[in-house]
Amino acid sequence: MKPKLLLVDDEEGIRKVLGISLADSGYTVLSAENGEEALRIFESQQPDIVLTDIKMPGMDGITLLRRIKQQNPETEVIMITGHGDMELAIKSLQYDATDFVTKPISDDALEKSLQKARERILIRRKLKEYTENLESLVHEKSARLQAVAKSPASQASGAQQPPDPSRYHKIFDDMPCYITVRDRQYHLTAANKLFRQDFGEPGGSCCYELCKQAAAPCEDCPADKTFHSGCPQQTEMVFKTQTGASFNTLVWTTPVRDAHGEITHVLVMATNITQLSQLQDHLASLGLMIGSVSHAIKGMLTGLDGGMYLIDAGFAHEDQAQVQEGWEVVKLMVGRIRGMVLDILYQAKERAVVRTPVDLAVFAEELTSLIAPKMKRHGIRLAQEFAPGVGRFELDAGQVQAALVNILENAVDACIEDRQKTEHRVVFRVRREPQQVVFEVEDNGIGMDADTRAGIFTLFASSKADKGTGLGLFVAAKIVHQHGGEITVASAPGEGSCFTVRLPAVGAEPGGFPHTTPEDQEA
Amino acid sequence: MAKKILIIDDDPIIVKYLTAVLEDNGYTTCSATTGAAALEVVKREKPDLITLDLEMPEEWGPHFYRRMTKDPELQDIPVIVISGMAGRHAIKKAVAYLSKPFDPDKLLLTVQRAIGLPD
Repeated sequence: MKPKLLLVDDEEGIRKVLGISLADSGYTVLSAENGEEALRIFESQQPDIVLTDIKMPGMDGITLLRRIKQQNPETEVIMITGHGDMELAIKSLQYDATDFVTKPISDDALEKSLQKARERILIRRKLKEYTENLESLVHEKSARLQAVAKSPASQASGAQQPPDPSRYHKIFDDMPCYITVRDRQYHLTAANKLFRQDFGEPGGSCCYELCKQAAAPCEDCPADKTFHSGCPQQTEMVFKTQTGASFNTLVWTTPVRDAHGEITHVLVMATNITQLSQLQDHLASLGLMIGSVSHAIKGMLTGLDGGMYLIDAGFAHEDQAQVQEGWEVVKLMVGRIRGMVLDILYQAKERAVVRTPVDLAVFAEELTSLIAPKMKRHGIRLAQEFAPGVGRFELDAGQVQAALVNILENAVDACIEDRQKTEHRVVFRVRREPQQVVFEVEDNGIGMDADTRAGIFTLFASSKADKGTGLGLFVAAKIVHQHGGEITVASAPGEGSCFTVRLPAVGAEPGGFPHTTPEDQEA
Repeated sequence: MAKKILIIDDDPIIVKYLTAVLEDNGYTTCSATTGAAALEVVKREKPDLITLDLEMPEEWGPHFYRRMTKDPELQDIPVIVISGMAGRHAIKKAVAYLSKPFDPDKLLLTVQRAIGLPD
């Protein structure tokens, strides 16, 4: 086959003369009088060699060279340069021109350049053939190897044992994390031992039923994403067992394809990272606590300074009332500091829950006696509603008392903050329900909006500015959770709040995770 | 007439303390424990200087400051920030920033630099 050559020059004479001589040398010659026309012809004809003038009106030779190389880097481009255009010539070589010839064009020089181009084309073609040959050679050899491996002779020799499927199944089963296989309809088609042990037999159940005790698929399902994209996914999720225990997991998914490359299933691996998450939370809250505590301490120190100043000034002016006033301030500040230190101790030191049978009526009575003086000082009425015959209940009296005092204090503060209502009251209720005891603290103080309510147990955010450390309710929630119980709040701004604490009877608490046990404390 | 200083802090004890320090040294004072109340007091009392806490539950100090300075009559009242927060740049135009707990002598010096002696 004749090589195709595109000749580009704005001078018609050159195109004519060169065109005839190139056709004589055995090329199929195409010609163009400018860069734009040359590109059009190049695109439709795909010539092997382009011979172009460097200096042309409109698109110059260098630009044409670059455009051609962009479209097909294997095209051989020879540049025609004027006498003394060395810079342009060198530049064209930088853009991967095959060679350049100078005007006036000598037949010898042109033939040398064309030969160079032809050689490069030839070498490239051979290289391509070799590569293709090599590929077919590899296919051929591997087919033979497979044939040998499948032959009865090789199996008998024992040289290449085929993989034993039961071995893989055992590895799958014994993996120390949860592994399941899921189809497109959320059905679990396989699960390893650990998963079956903690979540039950799949038996055609859906993943969300077993892993989350939910009635519908999760909104952000990583396995769905893998079905959709074919890519592995990684995410964090909360799993919940049938017994109600929940824990944080790190989940990976990867597609399982059939022989045609279609994704039929997704493999889901999950590992329990609850301890890690708790540690993260703990560190985050520690950071927040330090910020909140240091701010609270600054406020209290300023208050102490204020008290001392008033005492000093009172003595200087021999003003007994001012000394008294200063002394009250100092007492108040010392009280605030003591409360904060106790809160910090609770936060810093994990305590084991030690349950003893407690007479609930006596317990509640003692509790209210702790808060009653503060309420009386602020003219807040305390209503006790203890259900008759609440009887005895096993709980850690010291800890539950600390939790409830924090909640009661909070209720009192909420009443003090409120300047709208003229009369304030706090109701403290205790009642028994099957398998649990319920404490309720209701106030008609300032109340909370949804944002404040959402953060009160988790964040160290105090809505009490300088008076709060943001620790009290956090500590209360922690104690309640350690008892396997729950703490909830209902509130409306301007109307008040109601905190409800439910503590399950021993043996009735759900799951058994993540309660702290005495063993944990010693670790 | 003695120069008047408005004390804004949500903690009544700190208000009491600042009042005592400033009045003992010849200034007259007025006070507010919320941003909303403070704006009323500023308009009524036209203080020569304001001491302002940053973190207050109902209205954040800088927010109050922005509201106040919208009024051309009030925008030039000098403000000294007295706060436990590290937000030194929360109010750029503040004449001084005192960190809680503050030194009363330093407070008086700062007040004197801003508005001079009481009379």
